[in-house]
Amino acid sequence: METENTIKILLVDDEVKFLKAISDRLAIKGFEVTTADNGEDAIAAARQGRFDVAVLDLQMPGMDGTQVLKILKQNHKYIEIIMLTGHATVDSAVECTKLGAFKYLEKPYDFNKLVEALKEAYHARMEKKFESDLKRMEAIQKLSLHQSPLGLLKSLAKLDDSEK
Amino acid sequence: MEDPKELFSYDDLAFFGRVNASISHELKNIMAIVSETAGFLGDLAEMASAGTPVDSEMLKSNADSIMEEIQRGFTTIRQMNRFSHSVDAPIVSVDLMELLELVCHLSAYLAFSGTVRLAPWNGNSPLVQTCPFLLQAIVYDIVVQQFKHAGPDAALDINVESRSDSGWGIVFSNLRIAERQGFPDDQIKKAAASIAVIIDWDRTGDHLELHVPSTI
Repeated sequence: METENTIKILLVDDEVKFLKAISDRLAIKGFEVTTADNGEDAIAAARQGRFDVAVLDLQMPGMDGTQVLKILKQNHKYIEIIMLTGHATVDSAVECTKLGAFKYLEKPYDFNKLVEALKEAYHARMEKKFESDLKRMEAIQKLSLHQSPLGLLKSLAKLDDSEK
Repeated sequence: MEDPKELFSYDDLAFFGRVNASISHELKNIMAIVSETAGFLGDLAEMASAGTPVDSEMLKSNADSIMEEIQRGFTTIRQMNRFSHSVDAPIVSVDLMELLELVCHLSAYLAFSGTVRLAPWNGNSPLVQTCPFLLQAIVYDIVVQQFKHAGPDAALDINVESRSDSGWGIVFSNLRIAERQGFPDDQIKKAAASIAVIIDWDRTGDHLELHVPSTI
């Protein structure tokens, strides 16, 4: 059953059997997992649902993991991303980190370490969101002191537009 | 003819490395699936010990999945072994169909792989005396260029035809690399020349033929 604190994960890998195996395990551990076997579907899924953490394979047919990472970070302000790859290189690790990846793990990996990384990423996401909400509340407080109700509504709409 | 040992260059070593990297990626994926599925069975066992009912069909399907992946691993290792042995001797007797089947399998390990359809051969094995490693490198490059330019949804057809001069033609159809003016590059031209393979390609069409002599 979904609760307020269920961590929502978007898992992306072109190996369908791997997706099935890992999502079954993560579900037992209490994560809510959505899977996609290509980059395009992952981006579409992220548009439709809210995810706390995305786990991305690096090399996939069509759009690769780096491109998906870039687009998800652009369009979803708070999502954290873990790269999980069988093609690990120093260059790709540096590139993914520069693009905002939270962690870079290489296959084969320890499942417990992945679970730990998912929880850390979730906490990082919540902190970012909390700080942003705090700033937003401060901004609303300031606006409400100096503006008419209509002006306040317009300013709030502008604030919302800047939130992705 | 050149000293057979001179046939191999640094570029060929790089090709050997690229293919091995793609095989190791395949093996990593297999190991990851086996590891996760075995872990999942362990999780289910723990649940059963704690008194939670566990569906026996789920246990069976996960055990089957592990067996399938182990078989996939054996197949991959067999192909890796065949590929590795292709450098044992520079010039040997080669069954073209076996060589093409191996290249088709190896290219499927690439993350951006598409479909390759190898037409079956009916009759006596198409045997040639050649350097299997270099012929593999040439065929592999054509297949990879196709994947890069046509995308994962396109299909490439390959068939072997007997030629009247006692040589063989490896014919590639539905080729979508016509716009790539740099193909074949110097490395492939050099490899082809060293084993007397002629690359016959009409750039306006979608056909390319490798003419492979029966012996060099």
